[in-house]
Amino acid sequence: MITVELRYYAQLREQAGTGGERVSTDAETPAALYDTLRLRHGFSLPRDALKIAVNTAFCSWETRLRDGDVVVFVPPVNGG
Amino acid sequence: MMRFAVSDRDLDVASLRRELHNPDHGGFCAFEGWVRHTNEGRDVGGLEYEVYAELAQVEGERIMQEARERFGAIDAVGIHRSGMLRIGEMAVWVGVSSAHRDEAFRACRFIIDQIKHRLPVWKKEHYLEGDTAWVACAHHGEDHDHTHHHRHHRAPAGFVPDYSRQKRLPGVGEAGQEKLARARVLVIGAGGLGSPVLAYLAGAGVGLLGISDDDRIDASNLHRQTLFTAADTGRLKAEVAAERIAAVNPSVRTELFGRIAPDEAVALFRRFDLVVECSDDMSSRFLCSDAATMSGTALILASVHQYEGQLQVIDPRAGGPCLRCLWPAEPAPDAAASCAESGVLGPVPGILGTMQANEALKRLLGLPGQAPDRLLLVDLLDNRTDQLRIDAENGCASRGGCVAMAERAMAARGGDSLERRFSTLGAARAAGYRLVDVRQEDERAAWPMPEAVHVPLPVLLESGAALPAEGPLLLVCASGRRSARGAQHMRDSGRADVFTLPGGLQGLSE
Repeated sequence: MITVELRYYAQLREQAGTGGERVSTDAETPAALYDTLRLRHGFSLPRDALKIAVNTAFCSWETRLRDGDVVVFVPPVNGG
Repeated sequence: MMRFAVSDRDLDVASLRRELHNPDHGGFCAFEGWVRHTNEGRDVGGLEYEVYAELAQVEGERIMQEARERFGAIDAVGIHRSGMLRIGEMAVWVGVSSAHRDEAFRACRFIIDQIKHRLPVWKKEHYLEGDTAWVACAHHGEDHDHTHHHRHHRAPAGFVPDYSRQKRLPGVGEAGQEKLARARVLVIGAGGLGSPVLAYLAGAGVGLLGISDDDRIDASNLHRQTLFTAADTGRLKAEVAAERIAAVNPSVRTELFGRIAPDEAVALFRRFDLVVECSDDMSSRFLCSDAATMSGTALILASVHQYEGQLQVIDPRAGGPCLRCLWPAEPAPDAAASCAESGVLGPVPGILGTMQANEALKRLLGLPGQAPDRLLLVDLLDNRTDQLRIDAENGCASRGGCVAMAERAMAARGGDSLERRFSTLGAARAAGYRLVDVRQEDERAAWPMPEAVHVPLPVLLESGAALPAEGPLLLVCASGRRSARGAQHMRDSGRADVFTLPGGLQGLSE
């Protein structure tokens, strides 16, 4: 079990109803984490429509998560 | 020394100049106005100036005081003649001395413009035909080079842009201002992001602003698109934006474009030093990223959503990541929400657009800017920002490179031409093309291309596999005919990243 800090942008913020939260999880990768979050918050976007960043750098969905990581979910944004 | 006077005697320039000597001053600038022998097509033999002396004196002193407030430590003298003058005689003299030449030039221009427009002076022209006429001396704005034609948005008579507040900055100065005056910036989208971008770039004195937008102003735009007013609804955004720019700074030239077609984007980008993408259209963002990558033009992207925004600076010449390094393909329409669907708070595009303007100006001035390998996320609910490093190694670099990705996407739009024009082979290589020499062996001795892979056209036509697998490739021959045939053959075989140099080696400038 690790604790990570999550940040949601754009549609994810709308659907989660918050800009971020701290969660304790068994997920070892952002991919697994997102799957559980999708169930909890009803996120509509599939994983491949998002970018994932861990500790201020974009990275692969298979990056190994560690306790205390900051995980940022970034959808593309269209408005001008 | 600040003095204004009206004189009925010949002006003694030598003694006027002496009054402006000051051991702290290294620059002096003077303007002389002479009586011309024609006015509006009529020959003039002489002039009689009638001056309302008391008012002229007060107004003249006021102008000198304003010059001091605007330009700081200057000494200045202005003298206007009254009475009868002959052709060639001096009607007005303005001299300014200051520590450096810049203030002297600008203050001198300011003072003479104000004198011409504000001083209560009339002139009676004595025409050679024997008649006379009184003519007001104020010529509202006619001696300025206004390129716009919207009368109701003309600058006040005598307006001279004053960049002193930004020129005073370390890192700007006279040299920086000249850079801005020479700069050409294309702004795509004149909406919520584009409003502050255009307003600030115009105010800063950027020489040429291109504006691309084919949209009309709607009442629902006005909460965030601050260039426009209720009276503008229904009008074309680009046109109204150009009027507002002229109203802010008449010295800025504007050029208007509709929506940019894929087949003209690369050539258009090459005409500008910098492109700022401010549209609300995901396909425009991808087209801009591709065109920036292919033309080597820097691009500042931003987008907004509800209470947040994203900002990315693409710097192809520095080898920085492009939009496709983040999103290899354009997201599905439902994956990226728009202002119309999700709503947006007015200041959000205002803030992101202001940041784009700030990045643009810093870039033109050579100041530090947003790191080109970062995506900036701005959360304007709790005012938090995240700067996320783009994973360039797993971006386009893992799919053949940004140029190859852009070439493929451009070809897939169907608007792409086979031709890539360059004036030197070095420029083609710098733009990311691998050169392929399709001439025969015996031609190569006379004009060698050591930097090129050699694949004679017959070999290429027999098997495209003879070409290097990694593109984009630029085929080159003597005149451009064989290379065009080779590129067309490859396109027909399904390979999109092979191009021809039109005109061939004979068309190069080297």
